[in-house]
Amino acid sequence: MNNGKLKIGIFELTGCAGDALLILDCEKELLDIFKAVDIQVFLMASSEVTDEKLDIALVEGSVSTEKEIEELKDIRERAEVVVAIGICATVGGIQARFTDPKEWENKYKEVYGDIEMTHTKAVPSKPIDAYITVDTYLPGCPIGKDQFLNLFTRVVKGNLPERYPRPVCVTCKYNENDCLLNKGIACLGPLTEDGCGSICPNHNVPCFGCWGPVEGANLTSEYHLLQEKGFDIEAIKKQMANYSGTKLVEFFKQLKKESK
Amino acid sequence: MKIVKLKKENLFPFLEEISKEADLWAPTKVESDRHKFQAIDDLDQIDIEYTRTILPPRKIILPPTINMFQASDKEYKEDFSHVSKKIIFGIHPCDLHGLLIMDNFFTHEFYDPYYMESRKNTLLLGHSCWPDENCLCKSTRTHIIKEGYDLFFSKIDDTYIVWIGSSKGDDLIRAKEDLFEEDISDKDIKKYTEWGDERDKAFQTEINFDSLRDLMELKYDDPLWKKVGNACLACGSCTNVCPTCNCYNIQDRPVLGENYSEIKRCWDACTLENYSEVAGGENFREKRSDRLKLWYTHKFQVYITEYGKPGCVGCGRCISTCPVDINVKTVGKSLDGEKVDSFWNRLDKEVTK
Ligand code: SF4
Ligand code: SF4
Ligand code: SF4
Ligand code: SF4
Repeated sequence: MNNGKLKIGIFELTGCAGDALLILDCEKELLDIFKAVDIQVFLMASSEVTDEKLDIALVEGSVSTEKEIEELKDIRERAEVVVAIGICATVGGIQARFTDPKEWENKYKEVYGDIEMTHTKAVPSKPIDAYITVDTYLPGCPIGKDQFLNLFTRVVKGNLPERYPRPVCVTCKYNENDCLLNKGIACLGPLTEDGCGSICPNHNVPCFGCWGPVEGANLTSEYHLLQEKGFDIEAIKKQMANYSGTKLVEFFKQLKKESK
Repeated sequence: MKIVKLKKENLFPFLEEISKEADLWAPTKVESDRHKFQAIDDLDQIDIEYTRTILPPRKIILPPTINMFQASDKEYKEDFSHVSKKIIFGIHPCDLHGLLIMDNFFTHEFYDPYYMESRKNTLLLGHSCWPDENCLCKSTRTHIIKEGYDLFFSKIDDTYIVWIGSSKGDDLIRAKEDLFEEDISDKDIKKYTEWGDERDKAFQTEINFDSLRDLMELKYDDPLWKKVGNACLACGSCTNVCPTCNCYNIQDRPVLGENYSEIKRCWDACTLENYSEVAGGENFREKRSDRLKLWYTHKFQVYITEYGKPGCVGCGRCISTCPVDINVKTVGKSLDGEKVDSFWNRLDKEVTK
C-alpha cells in the first residue's frame, strides 16, 4: 500500500505503556493523527501488525531481555527514523536503577529466586540508545501531550524535530513559585528536563526528577548545595538515582572517589 | 506636575470605576509568603503591602509565550491577541524603571510592535514601598521615579498623595473627580519629605554601581567568574525574574490537520545551556561562567553605555531567587574586592572542576 503517507510504528518494550496510552488519549487530535500517517504497528490500538519498512518508529520502554534486544535491532533496521519516547526509553527508567552488575544480580535473585526463564533471558535494564542509534528523544513520565503533538506534527510535515531542553525551574518561575531549594527542601528541578509544567513545585512538592536528567545539569553543585543544607549523602544519591536510569552512573562513580 | 490627594477609603471606589474600561492587574498574595501580579476580579484580592512579586510586571505586557503570526505557503496572518486594554496598579519604583528600560530597548534600534502595541494599551499606576534587606534600588538610583507612570500613589498615613504623570492618568482622575482633593498643603508635602528621608535610611544594602562599570572591564578574567560558573545550576531563574531581561526565542509550530504553522515567541534566558546554540549544534557560550559574564556585563556595563543607566534597577529579585547565591549583591561586592559569604564562594573549597 502506498498512499503517500508516512508509515509509523509505535513499539512498547519494558515500561508501563503510559506513553502509548497518552498517544491514544489525544482524543481531540486522534482522527487527525490517523489521517496524517499510516500506522503499521500500534499494539495498544490494534492487534494487526505488519513487517513493512517504516518511516518512523516511536519506541517506548527500556530494554530488559535478550528478546527485546533483538526486537529493538529489528526496529532499527526497519525504520528510517527512531524516536525514544518516555524516560524508560530515553534514560532507562526506574527499572534501570541497579546499574552495578552485582547489585542487579542480587536484586534479580531476591525477586525471582531460582525460577528458570524459558522464553528469554533477563538483562539489566538499559535505555534504547545502549543498543541502537536514536535520532531524537522525547522524555517524560509519561510524555506530555503538547510535546508529543509538536514533535509528531513537525516530523509528519517534513520538518526536523526541534529539541530545546531546559530545566523544570524555567516553567516553575513562569508559574511564580517561590523556590523550594531556598526553603531548605530538596528539589531536583535544576537537574530535570522540563515538560511537566512544574506540576510538583506548583503544589509545594519538590521535583523528584521524573522526566530524567536535563542536558548540562550541574549535578556537582546541587549535590553539594543539598549536602550543605543538611541532607544525607545517601538520601541525595537515592533521590537523584530514582529516575536517572543509567545516565548518572559516571557522576556517582566520581562522587564515590571524592568522598574517599 | 499636578498632585492631588485621595483618602484611603476612596481608593477602591476609584479602582472600581477605572476597571470598567480595562482589565485591572494588581499584586495579590499567594500563600503566606509570595506575591504575584494577577488580573483582578474582586478588589479584595489586592494586597498592596508587598515588597516584590516573583515575576516583574513585564509579564503582563509580554507573557512568557505569545503567538506572533500564522503562516502557510499562501498566507500570513498577524496575531495580536495578547494586546488588550490594561491598567496595572501597585507597581513599585524599581519595576517602573524596569519598564522604562524595556520601552527604551524595544524602540531604541528596532521598533518591536509586539511589545509596543501591548505597552501602549497599558496604563501604569505606581505605588510607594518600603525596602527590605534585598532591595538595592537606592544604589541604582531607581528608588524614586519622576517619569514613566500615568499615576503614582504615595501612601502617607491614611491618605494617598497622587502624582499625575500623563494626560491619560489625568483622564483617569477626571472619571471620578469627586473622590480627589486638590488642596495639597505645605504640611502634606513636609510629611511626604519626612517619610522619604526615613525610607532612605531604611535601605540595608548598598553597592557602588559607579565603579562596577570599570571593574567589570578590569576583572573580566577574575577567578570570581570560575567560581560562580562552578556553582551556577543553569536554571535560568535569575534571568526570568529580572525586570530588565528581554530575550526571546521564536518557535515554529506546524498545526496538525491544518496547512499553516503558528509562530510563537517565548521568553528565553541567556543563563540556560542552549541559549547560545546555533545551527549545526555549535554553542558559543557553553560554559556557565561565560554565560554569567554576559549577564553581568549587561547589568553593570553595556546598558550604561547604551542607555545611560545600569541594566539593574535594584529590585532584589535575583537575590531572593538564586538558590546558590549568585546575584548582583554578591557578585557586585565581590568585584568591588569584598569577601562575600555565599554558597558559590564556599563551594570552591570543595569542588575542583
Ligand atoms: S522549586 Fe524546584 S523547580 Fe522550582 S525553581 Fe526551585 S529548584 Fe527549580
Ligand atoms: S527595590 Fe526599591 S522600589 Fe522596589 S520594592 Fe524595594 S524599595 Fe521598593
Ligand atoms: S539584576 Fe537582580 S536586582 Fe537587578 S533588576 Fe535584575 S533581578 Fe533585580
Ligand atoms: S545564577 Fe543562580 S538563578 Fe541564575 S541560572 Fe545560575 S543558579 Fe540559576
